[in-house]
Amino acid sequence: MLFSASFRRFMCPCNNVRKLCSTLSPKEVEVTLEAKSDAPIIPPRELQYPPLYQKPRQAWVENFNKLEEEKLAIVDLHPDIFGVHPRIDIIHRNVLWQIKYRFVSFAHTKTRAEVRGGGRKPWPQKGLGKARHGSIRSPLWKGGGRAHGPRSPTTHFFMLPYYLRVLGLTTTLSVKLAQDDIHIVDSLDIPTDDPKYIEDLVESRNWGPAVLIVDESDLMPKNITLATDAIPHINLMPPYGLNVYSMLKHDTLVLTLAAVNAIEEKLLLSLHRNDGIHTNKKYRVDHV
Amino acid sequence: MNTLAVTANVLRSYVSPFLTSTGNLFRKTALRYRYHADKVAAGPLLRRYGYKEKILQGGTLPRITSGRKLPMPDYRPRNVWSSKRALFGQNDYIDILGNPDLHPTRILYNLPSWIRGVRGNEYQVLLRKRKMCYEVLNRTRPSKWRELEKRIKYLYRFLNRKTKTGASRQ
Repeated sequence: MLFSASFRRFMCPCNNVRKLCSTLSPKEVEVTLEAKSDAPIIPPRELQYPPLYQKPRQAWVENFNKLEEEKLAIVDLHPDIFGVHPRIDIIHRNVLWQIKYRFVSFAHTKTRAEVRGGGRKPWPQKGLGKARHGSIRSPLWKGGGRAHGPRSPTTHFFMLPYYLRVLGLTTTLSVKLAQDDIHIVDSLDIPTDDPKYIEDLVESRNWGPAVLIVDESDLMPKNITLATDAIPHINLMPPYGLNVYSMLKHDTLVLTLAAVNAIEEKLLLSLHRNDGIHTNKKYRVDHV
Repeated sequence: MNTLAVTANVLRSYVSPFLTSTGNLFRKTALRYRYHADKVAAGPLLRRYGYKEKILQGGTLPRITSGRKLPMPDYRPRNVWSSKRALFGQNDYIDILGNPDLHPTRILYNLPSWIRGVRGNEYQVLLRKRKMCYEVLNRTRPSKWRELEKRIKYLYRFLNRKTKTGASRQ
């Protein structure tokens, strides 16, 4: 269910930008960008570890403080993060890891030693014509213990390799961008703390019912915190909380420009570090 | 056996009860059809004449109209957007996107501390529990502690004397 909703189509974002620009003549484009004087000026993004062999992906920066949609600028996105080949199997492995690694089964059955009673031999071995038994709590008896039942707690912990998780994040971001499910926003300052404002905004911009909003830090502006608190399917998250499962569960991912910078910085560091030998070591409990 | 043609397509043959070897004293008539389609059109042969089937073969199920509901729980759809489910998986990549020294097992606060990041069979898990929960269990839960010790002793004997170890790597 989680996958069928997301992977309906795969479209390059550059096509969208080109289609949009092709309908306007160059003069019209200049006029529309200069007309908004009150909009914040967003400088072009410089990419760390500039890509040598690939063109950067691009996305619009939109406004969040008004219901009407205003496109403020186009920013470059690093192709190693937002332009990775869509490996659905990697995404699948990451999602399964997130579900399973923290799962502990607390199912428990008592063995014949733990069930109350059953210490005495119920009747003599021979002479009665009854079957021979040593205890009324053996697994053969009703009310007896379970020989090989579940024993709590049973863990299903395992760790995915570090770079497989990095690849999971980059692949999911790329898939989201390719399917037009990422929207970059300049900031999260909204005029009211009314939940209706956010609902109308999401509805008018066709942002999908569930929205995940990621900002630069875990402290967010007051208005948006109060507004999204009342709506269960619109959630706020800090950049370190981003994960494959949440990105797939929510239809739309809204990132602030600062969050994009933070995420790109961390992921590019993971991809370009040269001291990653310890990341590939086997996980040993109590050694972290 | 004398055969008389009643109609062109239905033949009845009368079997004389006196000439059969079974010694049946009643008259028997065997109905035969010239064409298979007529036989099919006539329907299946009626057997067990007078028997009334008491099994429900079709139609709506009978309802008890006393007003009591069936002993089945009402369906309550799960709230997919409860706070636990909405934010499931948050911080799983904290060592990549946040502090690199913080392993995701260290923030599994809903689990007992001794079970975070543990993988092993029951014996290994119980040994760890005994090591880490001694102060709490020994004094406050004496029965549980006794059961734990018994289980560890049993598993030691069972695993070392009744089971083979895993295949060697050589």
